[in-house]
Amino acid sequence: MMRRLRKITPFQVALVTSFTALAAFMSLPIIFILNHAFKPQNELFLFPPRFLVQNPTLRNLESLLLHASNATVPFTRYLFNSMIVVVLTLVCVILVSTMAGYVLAKNKFHFKQLVLSLITLSLMFAPETVGIPRYLIISGLGINNTYFGHILPALASPVAVFMLIGFISQIPGEVLEAAKIDGASQVGIFTRIVLPLSMPAVATISIFTFQGVWGDVETSTLFMQEETMRTMAFYVNSLLSGLQNSVAGQNMAAAAALLIFVPNLIIFLLFQRKVLETMVHSGIK
Amino acid sequence: MGSITFNHVYKHYKGEARPAVNDFHLSIEEGEFLVLVGPSGCGKSTTLRMLAGLEEISEGDLYIDEKYVNYLSPKDRDIAMVFQNYALYPNLSVYENIALGLKLRKTAKHDIELRVNRVAKILEISHLLERKPNQLSGGQKQRVALGRAIAREPQVFLMDEPLSNLDAKLRAQTRAEIIKLQSELKRTTVYVTHDQVEAMTMGTRIVVMKDGVIQQVAPPRALYEQPANLFVAGFIGSPQMNFIQGSVTREDGYFYFVNKRLKLPVPEHHYPNFNRDRNGISFIMGVRPEHVFLKADTGTEEEGWIRCEVEMTEITGADSYVYVRLGEQTVIVRTDPDRFYRKDDKLLVSFSMNKVHFFDEQSGDSVALRGDAK
Repeated sequence: MMRRLRKITPFQVALVTSFTALAAFMSLPIIFILNHAFKPQNELFLFPPRFLVQNPTLRNLESLLLHASNATVPFTRYLFNSMIVVVLTLVCVILVSTMAGYVLAKNKFHFKQLVLSLITLSLMFAPETVGIPRYLIISGLGINNTYFGHILPALASPVAVFMLIGFISQIPGEVLEAAKIDGASQVGIFTRIVLPLSMPAVATISIFTFQGVWGDVETSTLFMQEETMRTMAFYVNSLLSGLQNSVAGQNMAAAAALLIFVPNLIIFLLFQRKVLETMVHSGIK
Repeated sequence: MGSITFNHVYKHYKGEARPAVNDFHLSIEEGEFLVLVGPSGCGKSTTLRMLAGLEEISEGDLYIDEKYVNYLSPKDRDIAMVFQNYALYPNLSVYENIALGLKLRKTAKHDIELRVNRVAKILEISHLLERKPNQLSGGQKQRVALGRAIAREPQVFLMDEPLSNLDAKLRAQTRAEIIKLQSELKRTTVYVTHDQVEAMTMGTRIVVMKDGVIQQVAPPRALYEQPANLFVAGFIGSPQMNFIQGSVTREDGYFYFVNKRLKLPVPEHHYPNFNRDRNGISFIMGVRPEHVFLKADTGTEEEGWIRCEVEMTEITGADSYVYVRLGEQTVIVRTDPDRFYRKDDKLLVSFSMNKVHFFDEQSGDSVALRGDAK
């Protein structure tokens, strides 16, 4: 018998339509940012405002770069700092969280329950409440004005650890035991089996860690007194707040918003398939 | 190479009064195919895991090849294990799955390739080497798991219910292959199963366990023909052995097994077991379905034949099993499938008394073994 297309029910039509509408609505800010960055000055102040750009121009980006090159610290320095910090933080967070996740999910040891409760407890604190202790720790360690000062506060990520504990505990114990019998050490089991199998979860934590670190201004504001150690997010942020009441600066603000947004989008697009896997495959079979 | 000795091994779990494995004391010879069998929770898997080094031994000593291994990590025991759920590494290809153990032992690369290919050929999985485990069927996965164990050429193979996840046909086929493989490789194999058919067909020696305690250790035939106690008698054999309650009395130098409905002569070879003061003590007579016979009721009294009624009939193909009522007792009888009996048919039943077993009702032990021991 020939295979026929499944019949489409009205319910499916309604479902697809409503989800498409929802997705379109959710993408409005993205479309707006993209368009806004290329609007000429007169369109930026148009009333009623227009959503889409009429005469796209690169003037905004140009004037942003012009403004940046006039600053005491070159724009590229901020960019470089941001990249270094983001990459190092990502690597460190992934390493620390996966290791912690493996140990907590698959090994028995004393005070394990205590450690788990402490991690839960740490989820309860708003970032603002730990600002002062963080400052004391950073200055106590003497790592102000170093990259470590950027990385250390982001290193302990209870959300990431939680996600990995959940993910790793779904790896069947027998697989790890088989590796043990095959002659793998704990490190071998971790690098050869656990880490590759946790990739979907690692992708997920990469996205939110990236977003957090890329957009973070706290470490630059509080722990970095030297302008040369501050990040791009800080630069854009101070630029924007400096331009709040300036009519002429709105074009730069629009371009800066795009610059800060684009890397987030790229990272998400890179990892999204893995993230979906995390959600779809709640178990490893 | 490959002998194993358990010296009074115990496993206690925290918060449990009864040990999971209780005084496991056994020597396994080199090249032997030993099967641990018992109902779930009897401690067979725990025993295997202690042997593998995945569980700590609470008490007692374990020797592999006369080497004390209680505190040796699994990788240093020179063993390989096959798990029920295959436990293949999902992120590695079939080739890498088989090769990993060798790679970790720093085997030369060309040697690894040689061994993997040889093993793949034996198990007929050469065409699957590039695939990932999730692209394999259950049977293929189990072959890869076997291959992973074989490739390392360990002294001892451990198998934890490796066939339980396969369908019936594949199970029989893989069972035959494992038997063949073991006889070719001549490696000591310890095999855990809850399936008595698997135990009987595969093992050169079988250990029956219950509640952490060894019930009997014997080759398959001996286990079937001389069960040490009621548990073993009931566990081995399908359908189950019939158990009939009664007592043994002595009349004019002859022994009889009697209850309300029966009076059966005890065969002479059992006499020494009853010679002591056991008059009137309760016993259980065990008789396998193939040692019970049926015939039509002719209305006349015959020596050794007892009246009964048919309860139901089970036809398995080669045999049929007739359930007959004997007073309050139901007795299963194996018969020719050509004969057909209807419910409530009146028949005569007789027991092949040379083949029956007697068990002490209180301890459950076979009187034959107890007689020998004393």
